[in-house]
Order: sequence, then structure tokens, then C-alpha cells
Amino acid sequence: MIPEIGHIILISHLVLSFIGGTLPLVAVYTKSKYFYIPVKKLSVFLFMLILMSFMILVYSFLVDDFSVAYVSQNSNINLPTYYKFAATWGAHEGSLLLWILAMNAWLIGFIFFNNSKDEDYTSTVFSIACQVMFAFSLFTLFTSNPFERILPIPPLNGADLNPSLQDIAFTVHPPLLYFGYSGLLIPFAIAVAAMLFRKDIKEWAGNSRPWTLMSCSFLTMGIALGSWWAYYELGWGGWWFWDPVENAAFVPWLLSVALFHSLIASESRGVFAKWSILLSIFAFATSLLGTFLVRSGILTSVHAFALDPERGLFILGILAFFIIGSLLIYSIKDLENQPTHSYELSSKEFGFLLNNLLLVILAVSILFGTIFPLIYEAITDGKQISVGAPYFEIILFPFALALGLLQGVGLYLSWGSSSSFKFLPRLIIESISIFALVLIILFILFDNLYLTSFATIFLFSWILMGTLQISKKRNLNYWSFLRKRAAVTFAHLGMAILTLGVAVVSSYSLEKEIIMAPDDSIEFGDQTILFKNTEEIMGPNYFSKSATISFSDGSNSYDVLTEKRTYIPSGQLTTEAGIKTELFQDLYISMGDNLEANIWSFKVQIKPFIRWIWLGALLVAIGSLLAGIKRVRRV
Amino acid sequence: MKKVFDILPLAIFIVLLVVLFSFLSEKDDQLETALVDSSFPEFSLFALSDDTKILSKKDISQLPALINVWATWCIACRVEHPFLMKLKNESTLAIYGLNYKDNRMKALALLERDGDPYEFSIFDFEGRLAIDLGVYGAPETFFVDKDGVIRVRHVGVVDEKVWENKFAKYLDE
Repeated sequence: MIPEIGHIILISHLVLSFIGGTLPLVAVYTKSKYFYIPVKKLSVFLFMLILMSFMILVYSFLVDDFSVAYVSQNSNINLPTYYKFAATWGAHEGSLLLWILAMNAWLIGFIFFNNSKDEDYTSTVFSIACQVMFAFSLFTLFTSNPFERILPIPPLNGADLNPSLQDIAFTVHPPLLYFGYSGLLIPFAIAVAAMLFRKDIKEWAGNSRPWTLMSCSFLTMGIALGSWWAYYELGWGGWWFWDPVENAAFVPWLLSVALFHSLIASESRGVFAKWSILLSIFAFATSLLGTFLVRSGILTSVHAFALDPERGLFILGILAFFIIGSLLIYSIKDLENQPTHSYELSSKEFGFLLNNLLLVILAVSILFGTIFPLIYEAITDGKQISVGAPYFEIILFPFALALGLLQGVGLYLSWGSSSSFKFLPRLIIESISIFALVLIILFILFDNLYLTSFATIFLFSWILMGTLQISKKRNLNYWSFLRKRAAVTFAHLGMAILTLGVAVVSSYSLEKEIIMAPDDSIEFGDQTILFKNTEEIMGPNYFSKSATISFSDGSNSYDVLTEKRTYIPSGQLTTEAGIKTELFQDLYISMGDNLEANIWSFKVQIKPFIRWIWLGALLVAIGSLLAGIKRVRRV
Repeated sequence: MKKVFDILPLAIFIVLLVVLFSFLSEKDDQLETALVDSSFPEFSLFALSDDTKILSKKDISQLPALINVWATWCIACRVEHPFLMKLKNESTLAIYGLNYKDNRMKALALLERDGDPYEFSIFDFEGRLAIDLGVYGAPETFFVDKDGVIRVRHVGVVDEKVWENKFAKYLDE
């Protein structure tokens, strides 16, 4: 009975979002009072509906209602309660519900915190957002209804949540990512409404900025958590695999970064009007495309959890409708008649233009690399190729290098006129000193220097000093620094730290396959690895063979546990890596195969500075969130 | 000229959509026909009902036959189960089970409780035969003709409709 209530509530959400997607537009264009509806109240009401529907699904999981097909496929009586809760978004149907919930939450945010006095414009934004929510509700109800029942004979127990998802980081990763993806709905809706009303660029760019920044922050956190999860859960020790699903999140991230930078110039100087509109549209399009790529199963990937061509078709339909629609408006409306400032080659505007160009080239190349195998297969009649890490790394390197160099000087540029480059000699000297210092530290820590990492390490010093010096130069006290410069400083420092992490981990990592029996020990780097013993462990819904390994650097030793788990309901195997985390390096060991009696193979790795990648990403996320929140509060 | 630039993003986007769309419409045939018209792979695995008896390809002796991939953890298999029982009772076609990554006791208990439509079930705990068959989940059903050649592969539940559309015509041959 209760799941049916959830179903009915979802249907009411569908109906109401249809009303919200049409009536306000009719009211705006006919200027008639009859069609007026209070958008504030409606947005709250819609949110309550989708929240209730979501809570009912959560409830069905918590009470083990296996008559609900979705619950029976993704939960099990023995699943720990926390994972039952998180299993709600463990697969496609529940994810969609969460997605709609997230879109709705952003919409409320926009409706309540937007400062525009123009009610027609606000309700148009509302209406466009409702249309997208309507499409998603329709999609959910017709192809992926989470409340579908198995009746009359419900199964006694469920199939269990995919074991590799039974992990704390992975339960938080999807919601963050969905909030990031769905947040891009607001800039999209704003851009369309701005075109329809031919809004002044400065005004709508100001409306759009906080939401773009916050979506970008959520995307950053989601991607970083996913990368962290892949690192310790897949047992390979890598942090980025250029997997299609990762790329599907990376492309909207790049575009949202491009967008909020372009919006800064648009808001302050009234430039890039058309460009910002196109970016808003395509950032949203790629977030939908990401969903399509993940959900349709046309790309094979370690992540592809739900494979269904029919769903792919539906998402493609949604994508086609909204993006063709908005691009049509773009091609018809004359958006040129707004006054713009002129700017010179060494101005801040031009800096943003370059930044955007580089980011967009990166996004397009990565998108191309992700769907190229499909195109190739279609043209050559079924020959399959895969585009792997080498392609992406070759592409990424020169453009990321250029972006980093630009980032170091970007904060010094001034609007409109030529900037003074008097800061440059000092910046160069400071970066070279920091560069040398880092090399010395690395040499002391690891007794080795790798030429391949020099460019990236210099980039770190360059961005670092470029960011710190400008904050120093402005001569702000702590309080006004926090208020005015903290967000951008955090975000740019985060990029610097991330760059350093990438530089070191890609050159200084060590890895080795080893074979050991209990009490064997092996020298690896400066560590002695001792295989202490194996043990059988019985978890709530799995049994595992575990090995206790001790890492010792001569003075201290530290035990870690690595496991091979067999999840009972599904029979699936997972590897739990044993990781010892230090400030400068991770010691990482994962259990391989049982070769004979008690002889096991292991993969052992030393990953220097790998934490710095996620630390950097966290700073980027905090920085962009701060910037976003600050702008919401200002309006 | 200006207008051309305004239409450009739309044009590029439509090309992209057409590519994705054309791929999508081909995709689902390709996956399912991967093994069609090749002969059923060799295997050597224990029987579900008897963990000392080794089964191989020649034990699938009544041809044509259906090979049905199933497991107790697979909910859709239970949906399919009544139809397989009906098929067993109403036709002469032999059905063989491939018990996929399952618990032996649970699997036998389920057959005991709900009925056993299979001549026998192969116990494929590690999914070895399943890999050779390119199985990516349960249920999946293969139709093998009288020469031991796979003619149809169906991913998902087999019901009356699927049977009529995909399988029936081969049986008539």
C-alpha cells in the first residue's frame, strides 16, 4: 500500500510540474491574470511531493519490502541498515528520483534567493525548469518506475546491493554528483529566459553565477570522491582511469568552470553575451549526455550499472527536445544589440577568453575521445576500438599546461585596458625558488628526481605564487581577506595542490607484484613488507579471506588488513585494499590470487602525494562553494 | 554571415544527436547476436544435483534444446520460472539449466519447492561456461538447434510474447 502512495505522489509531481511548465508561460505571453499561479508556493509544493516520494522509497528499503522490484534487486535482509538507506540511490530508478529531488532543491533555491524584480522573467525560469523536471518524471514513471511491484508472490529476500557500492564514500558520491549535474539546470533555464526576454547580460550573468559556482562545487566533490573510491575499492591503486563514466562527469565540470569564469566577465563588463549563453546550454547538455552515456549502456565501462537501450532513447529524446529548442531560440533571437566594452589583448577579458577557449577545447577533445569509439564502430561496421589513457593524456597535457600558466598570471590582469606586467619578474623568481625547494624536498624524501615531473612541478609553483602574491599585494587584513579573496584563493590554491599531487604521483609511484607465504618478508622501496597471517572473517553479508601485512621502515611498523570478500547473496568478489596513509605517501597493498595452499600473490604500491590530489580538489570545491554562497547572500 | 554562425551550434548538435541515435538503434541486435550461428561451447562442470558428476557438452543430448541461465538470487528468473514449467509440460523441447554463480543448497531447495523444468542443471559457480557464452546476467536463454548450433539468444525474461516472436519459428524448422 505504501509504495503505491509513493507512486501516486510521483504521478502528482508529474502533473504539477506539467502545470508549472506551461501555465506561467501562458500567463507571461497572454498577460492574463487567469493563468497566474504563485511560483514560490508551487516550487515548495513540488519539492514536498518529490521529497515524500523519495522518503517512501527509503522507507521501503528500510522495512525490507521486497515486493517492490527495485528494493528486491538492490537490497537484502542481511544488508547493514546504513547501506539499505544508501541503496535507495544504488541503481538507476532511485538515482533518477534523487536527481529530480536535486533539481527541485536548486529550483527552490533560485526562486527564493533571486533578486530579480522582473516577475515575468523569474516565472519563465521557473517554467523552463519545471519542463525539464516534467520530462524526468515522465522518464522515471514510464521506463524506470522505482515503485513497481512483484506481485502476487513477492520474493522472500533480495538480490543485494552491488557489493562494490557497499562503501561509505560510494554512498555519498552519487548524491553529490547528481546535485552537481542537476544544478546546471538553473544556468540553463536562466540562459533560455534571458534570450526570450533579451535580458541585459550583466543582470542575467549575475543571476546565474552563484548557481553555476555551486553546481561546479558539487561536481568537484562528487568527482573527487568517486576517484578516491576507485582508488581504494577497485584494488588497482589508480585514481583516474579515463573511464567513459568519469569523462561523462569531467566534461560538464570543465564547461561549468569555463562558464563561471565567462560569467564573471559578462557580469562585470557586459562582454561574451552569446558565448555565456552557449556555454550554459552546452554545460547542461553534457550533463544530460553524461546520463545518457551512463544509462543507455552504449559505452562499456567499469561503472555501467544499468543497461537499457530504451532508457537511452528516452534520455536522448529529452536531450534533443531541450537542447534543440534552446539552440533554435539562440539562432532566431537577435542578441547582438547590447552595448559591450572593448578590450585589449592583455586585458582580463582576453584572459578569460583564453581560459574559456582552452577549457572548451579540452572538453570537446575529451567528449570526442569518449564517443569516438561509438562513431568508429558505426562507420566501420562493428570494428571495436577503445580510446585509452594515452590519447587523453596527450590531449590533456599541453592544454592543462597552458591553462596553468594562464592561471598564474590571470589574477593580475585588469579589465579593459592593457595590464601592467611589472609583477612578472618577481613572480618568475619566486616560482623558480619554490620549484627548487620542492625538488629538494622530493629528493630528500624519495632520493630521486624525475625529469618528467619538472614541468608539472613548476606549474604548481607558478600557480601557487601567482595566487598567494596577489592576495598579499592587495594588503588585506585577515577578515577582509576572508570576505573578499578567500573563495578564489582557496580554489586556485586547490588547483595548485592538485597539480603537485598529480605531478608527484605520476612520476614517483612504485608498484610490484609479489608472491608470499605467511612469515615471508620482502624489501620494497624503503619499506619491509611482512606477510603476518591469513584469517577468515565473517561480515554481516559477506565472508572474506584476509591477510595481515605489516609495513616497516626500520623504526616503526604498521599493520594493514587486505581482504578478498565474497558477498553471499550475489556471490560477487571484491578486493579491499590495505592502505597506510602518511602525509607524503600511501602504502597500498591488495590481495591477489591464492596460488597454492597458503601462498598468495599481492600487488603492492607506494603512492607518494596521492592524498594531495583529493585535498586540492576539496579546496577547489570549498572555494567555489564559498564564492557561490557569497553571491547568493549578496543578492 | 552572422546568421550562419548563429545556426552553427544547432547544426553541430543535431549531427551529434544523429550519430548517437543511429548507434543506439543498432546496439541491441549486436549484443544479442554475438554468438548466434556458432556452435555451443565445450565445457566440463559439475552437475547441480550431484557434486561428483562431471557434465560436458555431449550430455546435452536431446536436441534441439533450450539452455536457460538462472540463479536463486535472480528475481526475474522467478518470474520466468512458471513459463519454463509450462514449456516443459506442454512441449517436447528439452530445457537445460545453467545455474550461474549460485549457492548449491539454495538452488536445489528452490527447484524442490517450485518445480524443476530442467533435464539437468549445470553448476557454474565461477561462471566459466557463462563467460564462454558471453552471459552478462541472468536470466538469459539460448536456443540450440539439432546440430548443436546456437540459433537464438535472448537476454531477459522469456514469456509467451518473447517465445512467439523469437523462438517459435526456429522450433518449427
